[in-house]
Amino acid sequence: MTGIHPAGGTLGRRTLLKAGAGGLSLAALADLAACSKDSGGSSKSLKMLYFGEQAQATQLQNRLQPQIAKLDSTIKFEISAINGTDWNDFLAKVLTQIAAGTPPDIISVATEGLQLMASKELAIPLDDYVTKDLSGLKEYFADIHPALVESMMYQGHLWELPDSFNAGNMFYSTELFQRAGVTPPSETWTLDDFESAATKIAKFKGINAFGWVVRLWGSWTSFMYANNANLLEEGKYDGGDWLWSKAYAGDAAAAGRKGGWKWGAPTANSEATVEALDYMIQLTKKGLSPSPDVGGGGTLQGLFASNRIGMSIGGGFWAGGLANAGMKNGSFDVTMFPKWKSQRHLFGAGGYAIFKSSKKKDLAWEVLKLLVKPDTFDLVFPGNVTTPGRKSLVSAARYSKTGPKHWSVFYDTLTKHPDTAPIPAPPYYNALATALNQRTTQAISSGNAKAALDGLQADLEKAAGAS
Amino acid sequence: MSAVTADVAKAVVKRRSHPTAHGEARFGFAMIGLSVLFVAVFTAIPILASLGLSFFSWDVISSPRYVGLKNYEQLFNDGPVLKSFGVTLGMALAIVVLQLTIGLALAVLVNQRKLVWVRTLFRTAFYLPLLASTAAVSIFMGYLFDYKFGVVNYYLGLLGIPNVPWLTSGFGAASTIVLIAVWQQVGFTFVLFVASLMSVPTDVLEAAQIDGAGALRTLFRIKIPLISPTILFAAVVALINAMQLFDQPYIMTKGGPGSATTTVTISMYQKGFQNLQFGYGSAIAILLLVAILMITGLQFLAARKLVFYQ
Repeated sequence: MTGIHPAGGTLGRRTLLKAGAGGLSLAALADLAACSKDSGGSSKSLKMLYFGEQAQATQLQNRLQPQIAKLDSTIKFEISAINGTDWNDFLAKVLTQIAAGTPPDIISVATEGLQLMASKELAIPLDDYVTKDLSGLKEYFADIHPALVESMMYQGHLWELPDSFNAGNMFYSTELFQRAGVTPPSETWTLDDFESAATKIAKFKGINAFGWVVRLWGSWTSFMYANNANLLEEGKYDGGDWLWSKAYAGDAAAAGRKGGWKWGAPTANSEATVEALDYMIQLTKKGLSPSPDVGGGGTLQGLFASNRIGMSIGGGFWAGGLANAGMKNGSFDVTMFPKWKSQRHLFGAGGYAIFKSSKKKDLAWEVLKLLVKPDTFDLVFPGNVTTPGRKSLVSAARYSKTGPKHWSVFYDTLTKHPDTAPIPAPPYYNALATALNQRTTQAISSGNAKAALDGLQADLEKAAGAS
Repeated sequence: MSAVTADVAKAVVKRRSHPTAHGEARFGFAMIGLSVLFVAVFTAIPILASLGLSFFSWDVISSPRYVGLKNYEQLFNDGPVLKSFGVTLGMALAIVVLQLTIGLALAVLVNQRKLVWVRTLFRTAFYLPLLASTAAVSIFMGYLFDYKFGVVNYYLGLLGIPNVPWLTSGFGAASTIVLIAVWQQVGFTFVLFVASLMSVPTDVLEAAQIDGAGALRTLFRIKIPLISPTILFAAVVALINAMQLFDQPYIMTKGGPGSATTTVTISMYQKGFQNLQFGYGSAIAILLLVAILMITGLQFLAARKLVFYQ
């Protein structure tokens, strides 16, 4: 096992009980936490935590129940939803639920929470299961890009089988581009092309050329990646050969892959990072971009769907989102993020982890394999609300109803740009996300990117030191 | 009546009243017991739990680790968190002053004899925002006050006024949140003041009128002193509420821009629930409790000179 716990200095339950009135209350809380490590749903049920609304979770539960029954007819499959504005919110609620003594067997975890879960040993590595079932999984690994799999590794171990991802591509309104007389961008367009198009679109009253949201995924961070910068030093953990040499033997895309992303010292106030954030300030000052909201991007999608925004960063999930918001196929399209110093994109991947406390780990593993089967994808994600992790599922048929026309961009981001990398989500992701949001709004409000990112650098150093 | 007859009569009354008195007492104790239980479960125990937790380092996942006063030491050296106390105090004072002033002004206005017929209507109208969910109000107001797409700036634009950064500048965001909080809460103080003004004895007001006191003199020299206990009560309640301001800034600005609207409760939420520092978050909660107690104490001290009890 790889995760590290602070071994010394912890208190036993009895010691806590001696700690007086305050300690009594604390003991109750500690007891709940302790329960959370021993339980994991009743013996008759398999519990899964899902990021979304309960109505959706219940529908998903009903859709998957017949498949689960084939694995074990005696088990009751239960999906509980946790709602939140973003992954930060979701994770906070998940951890509170764990503290309340109701941990699940399986949990939906995206890149944002993977290293946190793994480092705290809340989940189990899947290495042994994968090795055991490798022959059956070869078809899966042949269909999924190694960058996505590597993003689910931590300290040499695999913690999830990714089922979906979203890379930060650029969506644009074909109608606004046409009205402004702007040629639709090619895949190799540059930041100058982007700004030129934005300037023409911004001439329409009440319309903003480019909208964005303050968050880690696909925010000004996309510009940061294109500027060859990051918030943290990039590195990779050793290990992982147990998987690469067997599951991806001979695959050029797997060359150089290791044991997962290792996020090092903060570099939030490096010259290139400051330049990227300052670029966003300049866009705002030029009237090409409104002050951004903090959060999940629902408002932005609404504004885009009502043709109030010309361009915005989106992943495959925008296809379904925009269609649900009433946009017709053909009224929007997608292309690569523009090239700056590089055309490096960022992405976030999703999947399911098995909780360490689960008493039904073998069954949970069977469910995990079920969740990455091609036939299951649309049961889990109906309506193109994310990008399939399997390349075979990213097809013309899939996007025939929702669009966009250039849907192939979604997977091409991985295949054509091998330097595309996951968002920086170390074990202290929650603190990072909070600080990033605060410092970004500070920069936009004050117009001083350097001062804000000096502050972020200090915040991250503190958070990294505390984790 | 003879002494014997009187004793018998007393005994009868006593015997008859006994079961009723016992029943009332039991009912009374039951009601008090419920209240005590409620306060214990939902107030005292959580406070004690927070106090206990504030001496531990706990990330929910690992076992709690006793750290003594380290969380408090960290707290008094944590600039951003200390700043959130300043932000909270500033916003709370603004909210209380505006809430009391506007509430009193509206109550005095509605209490005019000429407007008695609309009193109920106004009472309902001003009280309604208080019944609305603060989260829903905050989301709605966020749309209204959006810099680029908000309705407020749209109408200001029609008047030739350039867009106001309601929620995207530090001062603008704090001011907007204060205004929204006041708008939502003013109904509470308004209703209190209307009721209190109605209880001012008419003979006192008539005497003032005979003595030639004008409306303003009557207000400041008679009405306000007579309702000063209500003003004190409203001020204490409003300040305690305002010091716990969370929903509006969290939903509308997430505490930003920067940390301009990061209140103590947001700091506490961020540290505890988002950064998984539950011990530290509890220490912040305890310091907030102490701050509220101290400020409330100061209010009562000031009230000794300013509040007039009949």
